[in-house]
This record gives sequence, C-alpha cells and structure tokens, in this order.
Amino acid sequence: MNTALRAPAYLAVGLVWLYRATFGALFPTTCKYHPSCSEYAVQALKTHGLFRGGALAAWRLLRCNPWSRGGFDPVR
Amino acid sequence: MIHLLASNPLTPLEHAARHVLNWLHFSIGLPWAWSIVALTVIVRMLLVPLTVKQIHSMQNLQRFAPQMKEIQKKYKGDKQKQNEELMKFYRENSINPAASCLPMLAQLPVFLALYYSLKHFAREPAAQHPGSLDFLHFIPSIAAHTTTHWGGYVLLVVYVGSQLASSYYMSASVDKMQRTLLMVMPVVFVFVIARFPAGLVLYWVTTNLWTVGQGLITRRLMPKAQPPEKRTSRSPRQDDGDGGGGGNGASPDTPPEKPPAQPQAARQQAPRKVRRKKKAGRR
Repeated sequence: MNTALRAPAYLAVGLVWLYRATFGALFPTTCKYHPSCSEYAVQALKTHGLFRGGALAAWRLLRCNPWSRGGFDPVR
Repeated sequence: MIHLLASNPLTPLEHAARHVLNWLHFSIGLPWAWSIVALTVIVRMLLVPLTVKQIHSMQNLQRFAPQMKEIQKKYKGDKQKQNEELMKFYRENSINPAASCLPMLAQLPVFLALYYSLKHFAREPAAQHPGSLDFLHFIPSIAAHTTTHWGGYVLLVVYVGSQLASSYYMSASVDKMQRTLLMVMPVVFVFVIARFPAGLVLYWVTTNLWTVGQGLITRRLMPKAQPPEKRTSRSPRQDDGDGGGGGNGASPDTPPEKPPAQPQAARQQAPRKVRRKKKAGRR
C-alpha cells in the first residue's frame, strides 16, 4: 500500500488510540476476544487499509456481543 | 442536517440527548438533574438483554476458575502463549471469558451526547432559572465543573465507590494485573473526571449503581453452580476444590488442611480465644 492510501488508515488508527486513552480507559473492561477489539482494529487498519480494515473492525465489534463465544481471533 | 454534520459530527447526538432531556423535563416534569438520571435508566433498560446475558456467562465462568489458574501457572513466563491457551480453553468449554465490547460501546454515544449537551447547558434559557440545575441541594449546578462546589467532591467519592463496585460485578477476569488495573483506574481517573460537568458524573454514578443492582439481582435470581459461602474467622474451613466465593472467579491457592483434631460442632460452639501479646513487651 502506498503512503497516500495509508494516511487515512493511520488517521483511523489514531482515532482508535484516542478512544483507548479516553472512553476505553474511563470505562475499563476486558474483551472476550484475543486480540481485543481495539487491538484488532489497529492491526486490521494497518494491514488492510481504511475500508477493508475498517469493515473488518466493525464486523469484529458486532461479533463481540454477549451471545458470541469469543476466543483467539487474529487479523487474517 | 448536512450543515450540522459539517459543523461538528457529534452535534446530532447532542441534539438527540437534549430532545430526550427536554421531554423528561418539560413533559414529565422532572428537574434537569433527575432527567439525566432518568435518561441513564432508560438507556440501561434498553441494554438489559445484553448485560443480563453477560452476567450469566460470568457466573458460568467462575466454575472453571481452578483450571484457568492452572493454565496461567503453566505458561507463567509467556504471556502471549498463556492468552492463547486460555482462549482455547474457553472455546473448548463453550464459555465467555470476559465482557463484550458492544454493550459498553453502545453507551459511548449517550456519554458523548450528554457531555456536549451539558457543556452548552448553562447557556440555555430554560436553565437560567435559579436553582433549576441543582441536584438534591448539594450540587448547585450540574453544568458546572464537579469541583466548583464541595458537593462535587462528595459526588466524586460516590463515583469512585460505585465504579469499584461495578468493576467488581462486571469483571470475571482471573488475571491479577487486569483486576488490579480495573480497581486502580477509577482512583486515577478521578482527577480527569473532576474537570467534567457534575451532570456527567451523575450519569456515571447512576449507570454504575444500575450495574451493581443488576449484578445483585441476577445473582439472587440465578443461583450459581457452587454457591459461595461466607467465611468468617470463626467458621470452620472447608476443603472445597474451587474456592467458590468471590465475585471475580479467583480462588485462593491454599492447600487442603489436615482434618481438625477437635470435633467441628465443639469448635463452632466454643468461641475462639485469641491471645494477645502484652503491649509492654513491644517496642
């Protein structure tokens, strides 16, 4: 991926970090998946870019509900 | 709508929160502070199906605490491997190891909406009436910073207590570091929260108390597989395999004791004598 395409993805990574430092820290919780949803989002954005990475992160968030089993689920 | 989005992406959220708060204040007749409490209760009621399921799975998790501790011991040096093995164990036993992010994240828009709405609250003509923003006569304005009045400090103390209690009910992790972090966080963040409007802290306290109440009710309605027994210093120790007690599934790793020489009934009846050293001998 070239730098121009990476820039928006890194901006989104920054937003995830902002979330982690603010709301994530204020409402501490443990994620049922490994890596955790925010870590997964960072990895997905870095590996697949804004759109595909963002979609993967959103899909993971939807899966991280009380009815799912959780577990080891790395970015592929 | 588009110009609202362009000015601030969170403006529609703020408007939605104001709309609900206005309805609670003007139509239902609640004071502003109680409208925030009511709004929080409404949000938490909507999230009940999600959180109840979560609490049930945490209770289920407590049954597996000894095996999980065993895995943790086995891979003490390799954190990554330890996590992977734990996750595998969860999957094999069809259990949910921890909280899900979705219910927690569902509260994010409400939190942000309230934050922005309270930030601009004092400017509203409806809030200009003296005493209209007061809460229980000890917080003069829910739109002002928490630390502007002594009542705010009381609210902060209540917040820390409620946050600790809610963490206790919502955390099923056996990881000592994670548990410690969850317990230390509210104390650290109290300095950040002190800069927030008192109404936001009120929202926080309400949502935490709801979590605690929900945890207590669910525990009472659904008995655990191994109900915890309250132990006092006088009650006899029992050799239960997985500890049973505690809200977070952690069981103490104490070896089973030898059977007592004294009959149990006699031990229970006779109060234990505690010998104290004389203070004079101490330095």
